[in-house]
Amino acid sequence: MHCRGSFGRINRSFRLILTFFVNIIMSDIAKDKAARLLKKTGSFSSLSSYDVKVKENMRKQKDSMSTVSYMDDPGHHDDLPRPAQQMENTYQLNPTKYFPGATVNNILKDVLASYLQEEKYEPELCRQMTKTISEVIKARIKDLMIPRYKIIVLIHIGQLNEQSIRIGSRCLWNSSTDTFSSFSFCNRSLFAVANVFAVYFE
Amino acid sequence: VVFSADEASNIIKECVDSIIGGIDYNHSKINQWTAAVVEQSLMHLVKMGKPFKYIVTCAIMQKSGAGLHTASSCYWDSSTDGSCTVRWENRTMYCVISVFAVSIML
Repeated sequence: MHCRGSFGRINRSFRLILTFFVNIIMSDIAKDKAARLLKKTGSFSSLSSYDVKVKENMRKQKDSMSTVSYMDDPGHHDDLPRPAQQMENTYQLNPTKYFPGATVNNILKDVLASYLQEEKYEPELCRQMTKTISEVIKARIKDLMIPRYKIIVLIHIGQLNEQSIRIGSRCLWNSSTDTFSSFSFCNRSLFAVANVFAVYFE
Repeated sequence: VVFSADEASNIIKECVDSIIGGIDYNHSKINQWTAAVVEQSLMHLVKMGKPFKYIVTCAIMQKSGAGLHTASSCYWDSSTDGSCTVRWENRTMYCVISVFAVSIML
């Protein structure tokens, strides 16, 4: 199932023209996209969650299926494109304050334990929980006020069912300034993995 | 320069298909597969030559009726940075790949 958000900033008039053209084409896919573009309301965060739904329009190659979903932050886009700001050179080679891995680890431990200690796995609850937990962690890291760092928080919550799961990640960044922090938690019926990536903005 | 999620998703889909395309879940190889998927995707993303730092995460899970939820929350400049998530499955396993691209230019 395709979930299309808007990239960058789309002018309101451009959006109307776009929907107009899409309506003319009159195919299922185009109608679907158009409906979704119009239906898109402000949801506060860039969230993507795994939905078990029947997928249409999928390319089947050797009994495998893939779907793409990416959501942007529709609520935060300006209607008029912001002019590219020219910033003055800071002449700063390294960050003044580095990202505190240990503190963040404690935050992750704290949040996961407090939200999930007593919970049993339930699809609806866990769907909400993943979104809430990622927001909470992001807010607490922002409270640390570490300047010029961009934060990415990734949460996986799953049911414990005698299956195995492997989560791996690779990053292309500047390893002297950028870092990550990770914590995994499990109780009797579910497991949760939290990853936080911090990227320095030069 | 804006992150193009379309291009990224195509690249990732090709990488995953080529590495774990028609294969069944195998516990001893899973380590190798995750590493390969992530490394190949990263390599191809870098070959695009755009001014971005990339973070690629891959979660591979055996199909056994269990549920999995993933959410991400990001604090960045939404006019230049972006993310893309590809969910892929075959008969015996699920694979969820997330790519986050953070711009390094104003």
